[in-house]
Amino acid sequence: MENTDNILEIKHLTKVYQDETDTGADPILADLNLKVGRKEFLSVLGPSGCGKTTMLRCIAGFETYNGEILVDGVSAAKPGTDRIMVFQDFNQIFPWQTVEKNIQYPLRLQGIKDKEQLQAVSDEYLKKVNLDGVQKKYPHQLSGGMKQRVAIARALAQKPKIILMDEPFAALDAMTRNRLQVELLNISSQEDCTFIFITHNIQEAIVLGDRIIVMSKKGEIKVDEKNGLKKPITPATPGYGEMWQRFHDALEV
Amino acid sequence: MNKRREEFSDLIVKIVFVAVVLLIWESVARANLFGSRSRLIFPTIGEIGRAFVTNLTIGYAGSSFLIYIANSLKLLIIGLLIGVVLAFVFSGLSMVSRYFYSIYNLVVSVFDLLPGVALLPVVIIIFGVTPGVIVFLVVHAVIWPMSRSVLDGFMAVPRIYVEAGLNMGLSRGRLLFGVYIPAAMSYILSGLKVGWARAWRGLLSAEMIFGLANSLGIGLYINQMRTNLKNAEMYATLIVIVLIGVVVQYGIFAPIEKCTVKKWGMSK
Repeated sequence: MENTDNILEIKHLTKVYQDETDTGADPILADLNLKVGRKEFLSVLGPSGCGKTTMLRCIAGFETYNGEILVDGVSAAKPGTDRIMVFQDFNQIFPWQTVEKNIQYPLRLQGIKDKEQLQAVSDEYLKKVNLDGVQKKYPHQLSGGMKQRVAIARALAQKPKIILMDEPFAALDAMTRNRLQVELLNISSQEDCTFIFITHNIQEAIVLGDRIIVMSKKGEIKVDEKNGLKKPITPATPGYGEMWQRFHDALEV
Repeated sequence: MNKRREEFSDLIVKIVFVAVVLLIWESVARANLFGSRSRLIFPTIGEIGRAFVTNLTIGYAGSSFLIYIANSLKLLIIGLLIGVVLAFVFSGLSMVSRYFYSIYNLVVSVFDLLPGVALLPVVIIIFGVTPGVIVFLVVHAVIWPMSRSVLDGFMAVPRIYVEAGLNMGLSRGRLLFGVYIPAAMSYILSGLKVGWARAWRGLLSAEMIFGLANSLGIGLYINQMRTNLKNAEMYATLIVIVLIGVVVQYGIFAPIEKCTVKKWGMSK
């Protein structure tokens, strides 16, 4: 984690949710500092209410906050296509567009008008997420796992610098979840993109992350370690158990 | 297979019902139950059928009934277009400015309660005795229920779509067309349906009360048939009014629903 090649830098991030019923509002994030390296896959673990999602929303530019968030040294206060969010909710792709139109729409907004090029890009990314033959389908005809794949393809196709993932697999059944983890691992190794991946699931954090942090109340980073295990990681990988236990203990307190 | 059989027996029941009603009508008509008024209240089905044809061929005062229909529909369409566009413009502005939203919300609530016909005296003073009055009433009939639906629809758009849109780099204005309008489509369509139904009623009432000799219309035609004791023609006109409603429902709204909200899985 050398300072020279950080794509994202969060400095003194403090966020208080203004709630009219709650006058003495406590900050959800208090003076959070974090640097994320280029092409790094960062897993973020933490108990509910520790501010993981808030941090991600601040990075995406959906929230106002105190402090500074820099992407390649430039302030990123507003939403932008250099940071694309993949939500947990299956219904994040637009139901009024077919699968391929969902992927092509943001590209058209970026100024790509050529139909063949759009088609080629959407086909390419659908193949990357192992979805073939659903191009013309509408989202309501897809399963939850397929919808999340489309959302990931839509995010990747926009060629962002950072993909922000807020528990995208949390609502999936265990089998689909494992399959998507493997696929995401393959994709992340091929793409020139930084991933910040929030999860409650220790196994998921270890399998995917190059680096894993554990957050606790008010966004305090309790653990921050490089994942030294050799990928692909399974529970049988030497060192997995100890690592799992370490994160588990850190989450318990 | 079972479902098909159900649909089929449904259809049979409906046909039998209509046939029975017609049969009762015809026997009441022939029985002369109401004495001298009987032919006015219950013309026979044959008479109504013939009136249907004479409406189209002869019409009234040298103009076929078709001209009356065309004229009514013309004013209706102009009014609907103006009303719908204004509803979208004002609802869109309400999404941009909080103050505009609260003021417009108030305006909609107040004017939605005012029947168009009650405004007629004032509107005549403003527009004079011109077809503009009818257009005004149609706009009035459609704009408030339409705005209410569009506003409710915009408010109900899931935040996740808006955030995904912002994330893709949609500006505020493009967010309206790119996210808010398609996401609120089922609300918009129900607003259109309510608006159209109100406009259709409003148009006919205005035409009947206001009865412009220089602006032929379906409402005026009914009035003219009434004053000439041509009640079979009047009934034939009522049938046409219903038929136009059915055509709009199944010929316009149903296809629009089929290729939007139904296709998108927003409604069954």
